[in-house]
Amino acid sequence: MEMRIKEAIRYLGYGRHAVDDGTFALITEVFRELDQIKCAKSVYRIFDLQVKGADQIEIGGWTVTSKNLSKNLTGCDQIVLFGATLGTEVDRWIRRYSLTDMAKAVVGQACAAAELEEYCDDCQKKIAEEYQRQGRYLRPRFSPGYGDFSISCQETLMRMLDCAKTIGLTLTGGGMMTPTKSVTAVIGASTEQQPCHIKGCEACEKKDCLYRRSS
Amino acid sequence: MLLERLGKELLFLDGGMGTLLQEKGLQPGELPESWNLKRPEEVIAIHQNYFEAGSDIVLTNTFGANALKFHSEDCPLQEVVARAVENVREAARRGVKDGREIYVGLDIGPTGKLLKPMGDLAFEDAYEAFAEVMEYGEKAGADLIHIETMSDTYEVKAAVLAAKERTSLPVFATMIFDERGKLLTGGDVPSVVAMLEGLRVDALGINCGMGPEQMLSILEELLTYTSLPVIVKPNAGLPKQRDGQTYYDVMPEEFASTMKRIVEKGACIIGGCCGTTPAHIRQMTTLCQGMKAVPPVKKHHTLVSSYGTCISFGRKPVIIGERINPTGKKKLKQALKDGDFDYILKEGIMQQEKGAHILDVNVGLPDIDEVAVMEKVVTELQSVTSLPLQIDTVLPEAMERAMRIYNGKPMLNSVNGKQESMDQVFPLVQKYGGVVVALTIDEDGIPDTAEGRLAIAEKIICEAEKYGIDRKDIVVDVLAMTISSEPEGALVTLKALKLVREVCKVNTVLGVSNISFGLPKRPVINAHFYTMAMQQGLTSAILNPFSEEMMNSYYAFCALMNYDENCASYIERYSKTVEEEQQSIAGSPTQAGQEMSRAGEMSLQTAIERGLKEEAGHLTRELVREKEPLAIIQEQLIPALDVVGKGFEKGTVFLPQLLMSAEAAKEAFAVLKEVLERSGQKEQKKGKVILATVKGDIHDIGKNIVKVLLENYSFDVIDLGKDVDPEVIVHTAKQEGIRLVGLSALMTTTVVSMEETIRLLREHCPDCKVMVGGAVLNPEYAEMIGADFYGKDAMQSVYYAQRVFA
Repeated sequence: MEMRIKEAIRYLGYGRHAVDDGTFALITEVFRELDQIKCAKSVYRIFDLQVKGADQIEIGGWTVTSKNLSKNLTGCDQIVLFGATLGTEVDRWIRRYSLTDMAKAVVGQACAAAELEEYCDDCQKKIAEEYQRQGRYLRPRFSPGYGDFSISCQETLMRMLDCAKTIGLTLTGGGMMTPTKSVTAVIGASTEQQPCHIKGCEACEKKDCLYRRSS
Repeated sequence: MLLERLGKELLFLDGGMGTLLQEKGLQPGELPESWNLKRPEEVIAIHQNYFEAGSDIVLTNTFGANALKFHSEDCPLQEVVARAVENVREAARRGVKDGREIYVGLDIGPTGKLLKPMGDLAFEDAYEAFAEVMEYGEKAGADLIHIETMSDTYEVKAAVLAAKERTSLPVFATMIFDERGKLLTGGDVPSVVAMLEGLRVDALGINCGMGPEQMLSILEELLTYTSLPVIVKPNAGLPKQRDGQTYYDVMPEEFASTMKRIVEKGACIIGGCCGTTPAHIRQMTTLCQGMKAVPPVKKHHTLVSSYGTCISFGRKPVIIGERINPTGKKKLKQALKDGDFDYILKEGIMQQEKGAHILDVNVGLPDIDEVAVMEKVVTELQSVTSLPLQIDTVLPEAMERAMRIYNGKPMLNSVNGKQESMDQVFPLVQKYGGVVVALTIDEDGIPDTAEGRLAIAEKIICEAEKYGIDRKDIVVDVLAMTISSEPEGALVTLKALKLVREVCKVNTVLGVSNISFGLPKRPVINAHFYTMAMQQGLTSAILNPFSEEMMNSYYAFCALMNYDENCASYIERYSKTVEEEQQSIAGSPTQAGQEMSRAGEMSLQTAIERGLKEEAGHLTRELVREKEPLAIIQEQLIPALDVVGKGFEKGTVFLPQLLMSAEAAKEAFAVLKEVLERSGQKEQKKGKVILATVKGDIHDIGKNIVKVLLENYSFDVIDLGKDVDPEVIVHTAKQEGIRLVGLSALMTTTVVSMEETIRLLREHCPDCKVMVGGAVLNPEYAEMIGADFYGKDAMQSVYYAQRVFA
C-alpha cells in the first residue's frame, strides 16, 4: 500500500484496525482528485546556527528559546528554514465537500495532510542529498508548535523565508497559516551522522494518542 | 507625458533594490523602507546609478511600505513615502545629464496577507492600506503608480481600485507567474489580462519569480490576449543558494541580450527585478537603445474570469447555469429568506459538476436586503468554486457592490436599449470591467422583427463606445419569445441571432427555455431550439445544466462542430451509458441494476448503516409509498443512527463510516421532509443549537462534522461559520433564545477567544449551556475556561445535546 494511503488511514483514527472497503475506495478516489488540484510549492534557506545552551539557539541573528529544539539541534552548525504548502485550491476543495459530502471532506482533510507530509519528506530528501555531497547530514524536521518551540516563532520564520511571495503562504491575525494545508519547519544540519532518528510519533510524549503510529 | 509615450516608444525601468541595500548593510529583519529616512544617501545613490544606467522610470523604495506590513515607531509611513519620492527626484537631479524626461514610479508591493474568504484580510482593508500609501505618494509628487510582484488577482484588484479612485496617476500592474504561466493563487494569463484590462490599468505585465529566458513564453501569452502595453521585469535568473545567501547568476550581457529579444517580441516597458543591478540595466539600455517599440495590437477576445478560471466566448458554446435564481423556485426563496447560504452554494457546486461554465447569480426577492445578500453569495461562491459568475440584478447598488468585491472580471445581467438602463450600467462596466448581457428591448418594447432587434443591439454597442467599452464586452441577447403565443417567435430569434453575429460581430446569449412556455414536453422543444440557435451563431446560453436534453444538445453540437477534440468529452459522457444499455440488453444486470436489486433486498436501516447514500434515497422513496414518514424515522432511521453511533463509541465504526452513514441518513431525511411538507406537516425539531469556530480560528472541519450529526438527530443548527466574533455568537444566542452553544478551536492561541466567548455568554445568556471541542482541548482545559461540557468526539456532542434538550 502507498505510504500516503497508510498515513491517511492513520489520520482518520483507524489505529491498528483494518480499513473497510468503502472507506478505502473513498480514500483512493480522494487522492486521485487531490493529485489534480494540489499545487505544491516549497521554499528553503540555509542559515548559520549557534546552539547557545540547553534552551537557546541563534539562527542567523534570530534567537529562539526552546529546550526541545535545542536538543534536536545538538551538534548542528547549520540550519535549514523550510516552508511548504499544497495551495489554496485544496482549501476550497475541502470546503466544497464540507457542503456536499462530509465523509469526503473528512477523508480529503486526512489525505491532504498525508500528501503534505510526503511532499515535505521528498523536499527534505532532496536537500539532504545536496548536503551529503558536502559531508553534512540532516536532522528530522522540527516545526513551531512541537514541544516548547513556540508556535509564535512561525511569523519570524515565514518572514525570513519570504513565504508570502515565494510560495503564497501567509499568516492570519490569529497566527494561523493560510492556505491551511501548509508546513513550516527547521531542519538542523551537522557534520556528524546520527544513526537512528527518533521523529514524529515516536518522539512525542503523548503516548495515549488516538493517532499514534503503531510500532 | 508618460501616457502619450506608452506603447509608442521603448521605456526603461530600473532594476533590483533589496539586494543592493543588503550589500550596503541592511540587516535581515530591518525594514528596507526605513532607510529612506535613516540612510537617504545610500538610497539616492542606488536610484542615481539607475538613472545613469539609462532608466526612464525609477521606482521608489516603498515595496513594503503599507500599514499592514510596515510597522515602525520612529518612521511614520507618510514621511517614509514622501521621502521615498523625494529621494528619486534628488537622484534624477544628480544623475540625469541628458535632459531626458524621467518618471518617479511609486512602488507598491503586496501586503503579505491572504484576502478573505481564503485568508483573513478584508478586501476593503487591503484597499485602504494601498490607498493610504498611494495618496501619500501622489501628494509627494510621484508620476505613476507601479503595482508589482502580485500573486493574487484579488489583492491586485484592491490595489488598482485604490489607485484609480484615490489618485489620478497612471497605473502599471505586474504579477508573478510561474513557468506554467500560473499565479500562486491559481490564475492564468488570460484571467489576469481580462481583469486588469477591465479595471483599465495603463500597462500590465510580469515581474519577479523567473529570469528573462523563462519569461519569453509568458510574454507570448500576454501578447495573445492584451491590447495594452506590456511590462517585463525579470530577475537575474532563477534564485540559487550558496552559503545561506540567495544569489542570481544571469550576468548583465546575457540579461541584456534576452531583454532585446523580449522587446522584439513586443514588450515596451522593460527593467529588472531581484538580483539585477545598475550594470544589468546599463547593458540592457545600451543594447536596446534606438529600438522601436512594437505597437500594441487591439485584441477581440470576449473574456469572463474568476480568480482561477477564464472563459473565452466565440468558439465552443458557453453554458451559464441558471439555477441560482429564486424565480419559480420555492426552496431557493426559502433559503434566501432564512439566510441558508449552504443551500445556495450547493446549487452552485452541483451546476459546476453538471458542466456549467459560468454561474448566474440572482438573489432578487422583495423582502430581503439584496445588496448585502448579493455580496455574501458572491463572496461565498468564490470560496467554493472557481467558475466565473454572472451578476444578475436590476438593482444598480447590488450590481455595483457585487462587481466591486468580485474576484475577477464578471459577467453582468443585464443592460438594455433603454437610455436609463444604459446610463446606470455602463458607468459600472467602465469602472470595474465586465462582460455585459445586452437585451434587445428599449422604451418601445421588443421589436417584432430581427432587423428591429439588430437596431437596438447597434444602439447599445454605440452607446457603450462612449464609455470606452468595446463591443467584445457586449454579449447580445436577441430574446427568445414563446412560440405558443407568437408563432414566428423562434424564426425571428434565429434570424436576429444570425444578423447580430454577422453585422455587429459580437457574441450572443439566450435564455433558451422561454421558447416553450405553455407547451407539453418542453425539454423537447428547448433542446432542439438550442441546437438550432447554436447553429445560427448563439455563443452562450443561460440554461439548467441539470436538463439532460439540453446537455445532450450541447455535447452533440460540440462533437459535430469539431469543438470537442477527438470527441473526447462526448465519449467520456456517453460511453458508460452505452455499456450499461448493452449489458441490460444482453440480460446481464448492470452495476446500477445490481445495486438496485441488492437494494431491493436491503432495508433502509442497513443502507444507512453501510453509508450507501443513493440506495438510502431510493429506498426511502419506495418506503413512503406504504409508510408514514414519521414511522420510517422511528423504525429505520433512528435505529440505524444508533447502531452506527454506538459502533463509533466502541471503536468498531470509524469517522469516515460514521459520516457516510450520516450522509445516507441525510438523503433519507431530505426525501421524508418533502413528503411531510407536501402533506402540510412539519418535521419535529428537538431544539436550536448554535455552532461556531471561535474568533481567530479558521479550521472548521470539526465543527462541520458536529453539524451534520446534530442535524441528523433532528436538531436545528445555526452555523455561524469560522473566525466568529464573540459578540456575534452572544447576539445570536440572545436573539434566538438559544439553550446550547457549541464552540470549536484548533490551537492554543485561539482558546483565549473561546474563553472570552464563554465569559460573554455567561454574562448575557446565563441559561445557555456551552459545549466545546477541538484538537487543543481536554476535559480539564474545558473546565478551566468555564465550559459546561467537553466533547471528545462528534457523537459526544450529540449525546450532550440530547441531555440538554431532554
